[in-house]
Amino acid sequence: MRDTVIRIGPQIKRGSAELAILSVLAEGPLHGYQIAKSIERQTRGLLRFNLASLYPLLYRMEKRGWVKGTWEDPPGGRRRRYYRLAPAGKRRLVPLREEWAQFFQALNRLAGVTHA
Amino acid sequence: MPDWREIVRDRLTPLRVGEKRQEDIVAELAGHLDELYEDLVRQGRSEVEAVRFASSSVADWAELRREIQLAANEGVIMNHRVKALWLPGVWTSALSMLLLRLFQIPWVPAPYVFWLRNGMALVIYWRWLLCLPLIGALGAYLSRRAGGKLLDRVLAASLHILGLTCVLVLGFCIGLVLDFRVPLSLRLVGIAVYLLGWGITPCFLLLLGALQFLRGDAAESRRAAASQ
Repeated sequence: MRDTVIRIGPQIKRGSAELAILSVLAEGPLHGYQIAKSIERQTRGLLRFNLASLYPLLYRMEKRGWVKGTWEDPPGGRRRRYYRLAPAGKRRLVPLREEWAQFFQALNRLAGVTHA
Repeated sequence: MPDWREIVRDRLTPLRVGEKRQEDIVAELAGHLDELYEDLVRQGRSEVEAVRFASSSVADWAELRREIQLAANEGVIMNHRVKALWLPGVWTSALSMLLLRLFQIPWVPAPYVFWLRNGMALVIYWRWLLCLPLIGALGAYLSRRAGGKLLDRVLAASLHILGLTCVLVLGFCIGLVLDFRVPLSLRLVGIAVYLLGWGITPCFLLLLGALQFLRGDAAESRRAAASQ
C-alpha cells in the first residue's frame, strides 16, 4: 500500500459529472444534446444526462470559466450553443483525472473493485 | 411538433438571470428537447410517445429553475453579498470608529466614566452612543439599497459592534486561562458591564436607527437597485 494520503474531493458525484463533460469536450466542441449523447455512447449507456442534470452543471462550469459556450449557425443546420473547453477547464481536467484514478485505486485496494 | 420554446418558457420562466440570458437558456433547452424529440421519432416512436418521453426529461421544473439560477448566479451571489453586507458593514464600521476616535481627542469634553472595583473602569462615550442610531440607519439603508435581506441589513448595521463583542468575549476567555490572580466573580462583573457598555447598548442603538430600513421586500429593493 502506498504511503501517500489519497484525498478524494467531497463532492464526488458532481466531480464525476464534471469529469465526464470535460473529457468529451476535450475531444472537440459540442452542443448540449451532443454532450449528453456522447457521454451515453462512450460509457455504453452507464452514464446518462438528461436536460435537468446537464444544463445546470454546464452553466456552473461556464461560470467558473472551465467551458465556453457560443451560439453558432451551421449552414443548413439549427442554431445551437456549442461548448468548448476553456484553458481553465483543461487545467482542471488533469487533477480531476488523477483524483478519479486514485479513487478507483483506493476502491480496488479496499474491495477488489476495478474500473474498466 | 410541439413548440418547445413556448413550453420551456411557460414552465421555466421567470428566471432571475437577466432577460437576454433567460432567452438564451430558453432557446438552448428548447433546442435540446427538439433534438431529443426528433431522435425518438427517428427511432420509431410515435409523436405522442416522443413528446411524452421528451417532456419527462424534466421531472420538476421548479427545481430546474432553482438549479439554473444558482448555477448562473454563482459569482453574482458572492458579489451581491459583498454589496449588501460587507460594503455597508465596512462603511458603518469606519464611520463609527472615526467618530469614536474623534470623541477621544482631549479637547472634546470628557466622557462619562463609571468606576468599578479594583481599578476596573467603564468609559462611556455618550456622544458616540448618540451617533449610533444614525450609523445603524446608514448601514441598513445601504444594505437595503443593494438588495440585502433582513439578516444582511441587521448585520450591516451592527457588524463592528458584533465584532467588538466577539473580541471582548474572546479576551475574557483568554484571561480566564492565562491570569488566575483576579477572582472569577470580579471577572464576571467586568465582562457583564463591558458587554452592556460596549456590546448590548451600542447594538441596541444601532438597530434602533436601522429599524426603519429593516422593513420592505429585498426583491423589491434589488429591483430598485438594478434600475438605478
